[in-house]
Amino acid sequence: MIKSKRIFLLVLCSVILLMTLSGSASARFEYYEEEIKVGDGYQINNYVIDVTDVFLSDKLAVFKVYKNGADKPIYDDMIGINDTLNFDLENGEVDLKLLSVGSGVLNRVNVLITVKNVDIYLTEIVNGGHEYATYSGTPVIELTKTVDESNIMVDDIITVTVTAKNTGDDKATNVIFSDPKQEHFILDKSILEQTGPMSLDIGASQTVFVYMLKATEAGIFTLKSSTATFSNRANQAFPQALSTTPTVTVTAPEIPEVPKKNAVLELSTDVDSMNVKRNDQITATISIKNTGDAPASAVWIEMVIPQDLEYVSGDSTIEVIGGVPKIYMGSFGVQQEKEFTYTVKASELGTYTLTTKLSYEYDNGVDAESQKVSTESVTGNVYVQKGKYDALLEQPIYVYVLPIIAIIAIGAWIFHRHKQYKF
Amino acid sequence: MLNILMVGNGQCGNRILDAVNKQAFGGKTKFAKFYSNQKFKSRVETIAVNTAINDLKELKFTKGKDRIHIPHLHGVGANRNVGKSVFNDNKDLIMRQIEDRGRFDVAFVVTSASGGTGSSFTPMLIKELKERYDFPVYAIVVLPFREEGSLYLQNAAFCLKDMRDSGADGIILADNQFLKQLGGDVESAYNGINDMIADRILFLLDALDSEMMMVTDLGDFKTVMDGGAGLATIGFYRAEKDVPVKTAIQKALSPSGLLFSTNVYDEASRAMVIIRGDKSYLSIDDISNEVEKLSSAVGHVFKGIIVRNGEYPQVLAVLTLESAFELEKLYAIAVDAINQEREKKERVDSKKEVNKAFSQLDGLEPSY
Repeated sequence: MIKSKRIFLLVLCSVILLMTLSGSASARFEYYEEEIKVGDGYQINNYVIDVTDVFLSDKLAVFKVYKNGADKPIYDDMIGINDTLNFDLENGEVDLKLLSVGSGVLNRVNVLITVKNVDIYLTEIVNGGHEYATYSGTPVIELTKTVDESNIMVDDIITVTVTAKNTGDDKATNVIFSDPKQEHFILDKSILEQTGPMSLDIGASQTVFVYMLKATEAGIFTLKSSTATFSNRANQAFPQALSTTPTVTVTAPEIPEVPKKNAVLELSTDVDSMNVKRNDQITATISIKNTGDAPASAVWIEMVIPQDLEYVSGDSTIEVIGGVPKIYMGSFGVQQEKEFTYTVKASELGTYTLTTKLSYEYDNGVDAESQKVSTESVTGNVYVQKGKYDALLEQPIYVYVLPIIAIIAIGAWIFHRHKQYKF
Repeated sequence: MLNILMVGNGQCGNRILDAVNKQAFGGKTKFAKFYSNQKFKSRVETIAVNTAINDLKELKFTKGKDRIHIPHLHGVGANRNVGKSVFNDNKDLIMRQIEDRGRFDVAFVVTSASGGTGSSFTPMLIKELKERYDFPVYAIVVLPFREEGSLYLQNAAFCLKDMRDSGADGIILADNQFLKQLGGDVESAYNGINDMIADRILFLLDALDSEMMMVTDLGDFKTVMDGGAGLATIGFYRAEKDVPVKTAIQKALSPSGLLFSTNVYDEASRAMVIIRGDKSYLSIDDISNEVEKLSSAVGHVFKGIIVRNGEYPQVLAVLTLESAFELEKLYAIAVDAINQEREKKERVDSKKEVNKAFSQLDGLEPSY
């Protein structure tokens, strides 16, 4: 039981010590030692400490604290040497310690002023006391951006007006306006542009920007806000003011539809015979005609030859590229038609088709990019049948080899005999 | 198997040799050498010798290695003296060619008696062969047409004389004058004569190396050739249809079957008759009767019979002559020819006086 109490006390002391230390670490203190004549005051921000009376013989002085120039003091006290007057100031505290009193044309006091946890923006002696002090307020700049038309067409021009009004309780100083560029619009004309710096009295209103924007594209656009930076009379800077952001609806003009043009290349492939003998030649004819209303360009015709057919020859315009017969034409006019012929040879029996691939491009008159078209045509089946002498080829190998050997032997024998009997 | 050497000297000898080679192929076309082999029974080596290269080039059935060109212009121009000189200069070459072909049992040297190369080379070649070897050497000599000119007649006369002196074991005569009865143009006549001679030689070679029902061999042939005056001829008949063997023998001994004009019953000294054909044709009685008839006139007759199924009767008769009336006539003409040539030469020599007329211009030049 005793042990628990000790631990509790130890923890409690530690917490108090930590709180104490942390409180000391965050407190801000500023010290001012001033000599103030009677009748004068000492201003700290919007508070003025007036020295109203000094009693030399009694070493006493009377201090009155006024806030914002009010007629009645918020603190009033008479203190002696080394006595302290304490009062709250904004969120902090002020300790005023009377150090000494003195004589002169006017009696005076020496005081030590300790300001604790106050953001001080003004400290000064005020001759004549609080009635002659300058008090700072909060200027409020209201920026209003307006447009003369909120529904317009592309290429229409709107007038943008930006006005500023100080609705605060202090004069705005060092006011600087800025206005960003607007997307989707271009600046057509700038009529008024007052960027500052300037001041704006309480309740005063000022037109700062007048300019004309031209809509470049359709859409609903919110104009970017104008901004204003400013201070009060005590040169305190305030957060940037933003203007209203009007919305402008831009409608695209109706563009009459342009009819698209087409290049239509009709392709056909025919062969002269659908039944051929092996090793006979097949003549294929490719016909192409542009039945569209636009010329074609980059026209490629590719002849796909089956594996067991052999390309033999063709028109002079046919080039064999990489083993594939092809035709290229730079352009192919409207209603133009052409025919190309080529021959292939069938080396193996079977059923074949000849395929012609066609690709071309054309400009449809509307789209920026060329239109690309690919198509193909296929012939009917071509039947390759046995040739007249195919029966010979189907014989066993010795049927060919033996006669060849015999012929060679006979030839060699004749040659031998010829040499033998040559003189 | 016999080893037979056959040498053809000069244009005539070359062509007869080529005809033998051609007929040995069996085929009648010039392409026979490409599809056939020579059907010699024996080992037969043929050599064609000539100074005229064009004559050698004309041969079709004689192997290139068997054609020996003796370089001397394009022939010896029917001059036997030049020919002899050329032979002497090239004797080693010719003999080496013969030597390279091995051992022989018999040799035949075919030539014309009237030309240049053949008539001059043959006697000297026979002499060389006889000096170097011990096998019999026979000459087959073709006599010229009588109208061919005095030089040829003169050559023929001296050639035959040289031939006899050379040591030849026999001279088989073939006479163009006698054989011109074949008719036709010159070329076909020569070819026909060559083929006739070739036919007989092939038959003879075949017979010498064949198995026979009644045997005649090289020894018999030698005995026949040793008889008479060293001169011989051959009679031959090949039936083209069904002919009795008796008729065939008679035709072989008749002028139409002989190579040289002679009356065998008067002039022959010894004979060898070889009969070949299907045994159905080979009547022993007929053969014996005909052979007896011949032997009663000429003395000894060797006879041989070769049975070949399916063949019509063929008869070859080798006859040595003890006298040759036709040859005497030839020599008579030849002597005239020699005299003519000598007179001609004397006349030409006398015309050299003409040179004196030209000699008057010596040292002078024409002036214009």
